[in-house]
Amino acid sequence: MGIIEVKKLSKTFKVKIKEKGLKGSIKSIIKPKYKTISAVNDVNFEIEKGEIIAFIGPNGAGKSTTIKMLTGILYPDAGSIKVLDIDPIKDRKKLAYQIGTVFGQKEQLWTHLTPYDNFKFFGAIYDIPESRVEKKIDELRELFELDEFINTPVRNLSLGQRIRCEIVASLIHEPKVLFLDEPTIGLDPVVKENIRSLIKRMNKEYKTTIFLTSHDVGDIEKLCKRVIIINNGMVVLDDTMDNLKYHYLNKKIVEVKTKEKVNLDDTDGITVLKDKGYNLKLEVDITKKSVTDAIKLLNPDNIIDINISNIPLEDIISSIYKEGI
Amino acid sequence: MKKYLFIFKSEVMSDMQYVFNTFVGFIGYFILLFILFNLYSYLYTDSSEIINGYTMNQMIWYVIVTEILWTVLSGKRLCRKISNDVKSGNIAYNMNKPYSYIGYALFGYLGEIFIKAITYVVLAAIMGFIFLGSFPNLSIMSILAVLLTGVLATVISIMFIITIGLLSFYIEDSGPIYWVYSKLILVLGTIFPIEYFPIGVQKVLSYSPIYVVSYGPAKLFVDFSFDTFKNIFIYQLIYLLIAYLLASFIYKKGVKKLNVNGG
Repeated sequence: MGIIEVKKLSKTFKVKIKEKGLKGSIKSIIKPKYKTISAVNDVNFEIEKGEIIAFIGPNGAGKSTTIKMLTGILYPDAGSIKVLDIDPIKDRKKLAYQIGTVFGQKEQLWTHLTPYDNFKFFGAIYDIPESRVEKKIDELRELFELDEFINTPVRNLSLGQRIRCEIVASLIHEPKVLFLDEPTIGLDPVVKENIRSLIKRMNKEYKTTIFLTSHDVGDIEKLCKRVIIINNGMVVLDDTMDNLKYHYLNKKIVEVKTKEKVNLDDTDGITVLKDKGYNLKLEVDITKKSVTDAIKLLNPDNIIDINISNIPLEDIISSIYKEGI
Repeated sequence: MKKYLFIFKSEVMSDMQYVFNTFVGFIGYFILLFILFNLYSYLYTDSSEIINGYTMNQMIWYVIVTEILWTVLSGKRLCRKISNDVKSGNIAYNMNKPYSYIGYALFGYLGEIFIKAITYVVLAAIMGFIFLGSFPNLSIMSILAVLLTGVLATVISIMFIITIGLLSFYIEDSGPIYWVYSKLILVLGTIFPIEYFPIGVQKVLSYSPIYVVSYGPAKLFVDFSFDTFKNIFIYQLIYLLIAYLLASFIYKKGVKKLNVNGG
């Protein structure tokens, strides 16, 4: 049995529509019109204990709506959810003791208090005995390297330090499942890397199941073994990261610098992505043409420099967003 | 209950960053009281005259108490905060925590106004003594009774304001409703005691929230009797229950309609 089970989950929103101009404003008061938007439509998935899964999709795809239904914030219109065998709608409070949430775009900490006071606060609201809270704070301050700023008011912390504290605050009550909604948003690459390694360490140490949404491919690639892609409210892909890459590895990107200009048109299996005279970027579908074929077309003697690479994961994901699978 | 006391304590600690603002805010209170002091000095030909059962000193102490309750509460700020929480969907981030949102809002706000309340009570007592030269004749027990009804009046007021703020689940803006509510409290319960109104209105007011959130503690302060205290206290408990049930009902129905921005 999975730690999270979602079956036929659907959610619609009623949104007020207003015609343009003053006339439209008056009309909307007298006779308001609404349209129904399907935010999540027949979503199914199951997540096992200890997994780190990426739940991704373009803006407005339905990821946050799904997270909010999983945590009991929003009520689904149809379908069923079980998180740790608890129905979030019927037992929201009971579930709250078992899960942690970090919303990268929303502060949960009290900004005028220090991280230490905040952790004590979170310990109290989760009914954890004082001695256990102290022990937990000591443990987490070491794991997340908080010593330097644990007694500095949160409002004076850098974004990276604050996110670290946000994650620690969500771990004080030892949740079995942690929902991370864009935890690295706005962070610089070094801090991002630091947060990722801390998340990994936490998952290893406490076996916490992590449900991650992010637009950052680095987060997904470095943390997750499984990815669920949602678009227009529907799951369009649910697969391992290895499979996702493997399916798309049959395409190679060949970038060349030539001595003389080459006039190359798209052929079956070779697509010209960029042509700047002496610099070319090609996409080779190796199920149809080999990379050698592409090099031959360019004339090997004419090549000064060459770079052959796989399609970046970011492009793979973008193409799934655009076309579906 | 421990977690709500922690919410209260955290808010008090947080508010300590702005202690200076409290003192600055008291200037506004002082000016208002000064105007009312002059108004009543004009109404009363001499300090022994009794109008509608109140001497001038009693009237001024009455207004000092009701104005403390009114100013310390700053209800507009709370109502806007709750309303914005609902409209922006921020309320959602409190929902996945193991506490009740109403309890969180109530104790959080009590913590927010705690330092202000103590400061205003002390400064207003000094100010009243300077203006009038004496305090009302109260025993320790009656002072405790006044404090108790004052705290209950604040709690009930906060509960009513939370309820009005939560109406944002159903209507675009609950601000105008709060405006009407607050002006009724101000005109009918803060500037003048209930006894100043015609008999018919007095009867209505003595069953209204004004009796418990404004008039009650002030009346006890200027003219204490155990019977009045008992009466006000019982009414306060009834109103507290009504306000809590109302807020819970609106909240429970409202969250089902919640529409969170950005997902």
